[in-house]
Amino acid sequence: MSKTSRTLVTMPSEAKQGEIITIKIIVQHDMESGFRRTELGEVVPRDIIRSFICTYAGSEIFKAELHPGTGANPLISFTTIVTQTGLFEFKWQGDNDYFASTSQQLTVV
Amino acid sequence: MSLGFALYNCFFATLLSLISLGVLADATGVARQSTYELMSPENRAMQDNAQANPGLFWVLDGKALWDQPEGPNKRSCASCHGQAEQSMKGVAAGFPKLRAKVLTTLEEQINDCRTTKQQSTSLAHESKPLVALTTFVANQSKGMPIDLNSSPELMAQIDAGKKLFDTRMGQLNLSCANCHAERAGAKLAGNAIPQAHPTSYPQYRLEWQAVGTLERRLRNCMIGVRAQAYAYDSQELKQLEVFLAWRARGMLLETPGVRP
Repeated sequence: MSKTSRTLVTMPSEAKQGEIITIKIIVQHDMESGFRRTELGEVVPRDIIRSFICTYAGSEIFKAELHPGTGANPLISFTTIVTQTGLFEFKWQGDNDYFASTSQQLTVV
Repeated sequence: MSLGFALYNCFFATLLSLISLGVLADATGVARQSTYELMSPENRAMQDNAQANPGLFWVLDGKALWDQPEGPNKRSCASCHGQAEQSMKGVAAGFPKLRAKVLTTLEEQINDCRTTKQQSTSLAHESKPLVALTTFVANQSKGMPIDLNSSPELMAQIDAGKKLFDTRMGQLNLSCANCHAERAGAKLAGNAIPQAHPTSYPQYRLEWQAVGTLERRLRNCMIGVRAQAYAYDSQELKQLEVFLAWRARGMLLETPGVRP
């Protein structure tokens, strides 16, 4: 049974050919580092997102590895050049079979 | 001549006392400011952009819980209250309030509804579902002024809260007023001291990496001055909350606010 969570994407739905667009994307996750302890001294097991991948019309355009130092609800912001009308797909994978995905269509005008 | 001199002295003594009063006075009216005004442009953008405000996750979780049936009769919040966007508009702006002469916070009101109307379990203070529901309900009052019903009974609670606000506590022996009224705007460890108006609660605090309630924030300050923090839902915390709400009356709610 895999875990998942909410995501929020900020990007234009329409853009001109050759335009540089900014994509801001935030995902709901506690990012438990694995270094914290409970009041009784027991280590809280690590539970973080390990990787993020963005594909644009089927090809990978952005990839990130996340580490225990990343804070909760990580926000990732990056830019890309508009080449064609296509679907942006965003995927996160992490500990304990965590998987979240979302997508947004971009139309060239 | 001597009378004139005495009057002259008297005038200066009055002026001096007025100045010192001015330094110690709590900000009122237009001099009040939301802590939003003290934040960096990045933090402000985080609060203002709904798609980047992490507090929205709690709002969305709260919305899901609002429609989720609970208890033996499978009643959800929506079964009685319908669309929160209409029924809960302005509700959070009137809390804490007196219900049957008992000072009640929004969190307690939600738990009361859960245990009596839904016949379900009471949610723990600061637990994710309770914070999410509270944030969702308070979000419906975003942009509305804090507006307490100032009955004499509530004023008595507010007065008790003001006494607590002015009471020194902890090993550092500081009162809330020492920092947030007398030294608001000055610096503490490089950060501006806010006036402490509770306009953003429940708020996403970057330090917490989560949304938390005003009671959590008040307990933070008490631990900061090395005092024994009052328990969640204690009468003292609620009196402080109602005093702060009264002190910020007319200021606009920002829920979910983002704070560093």
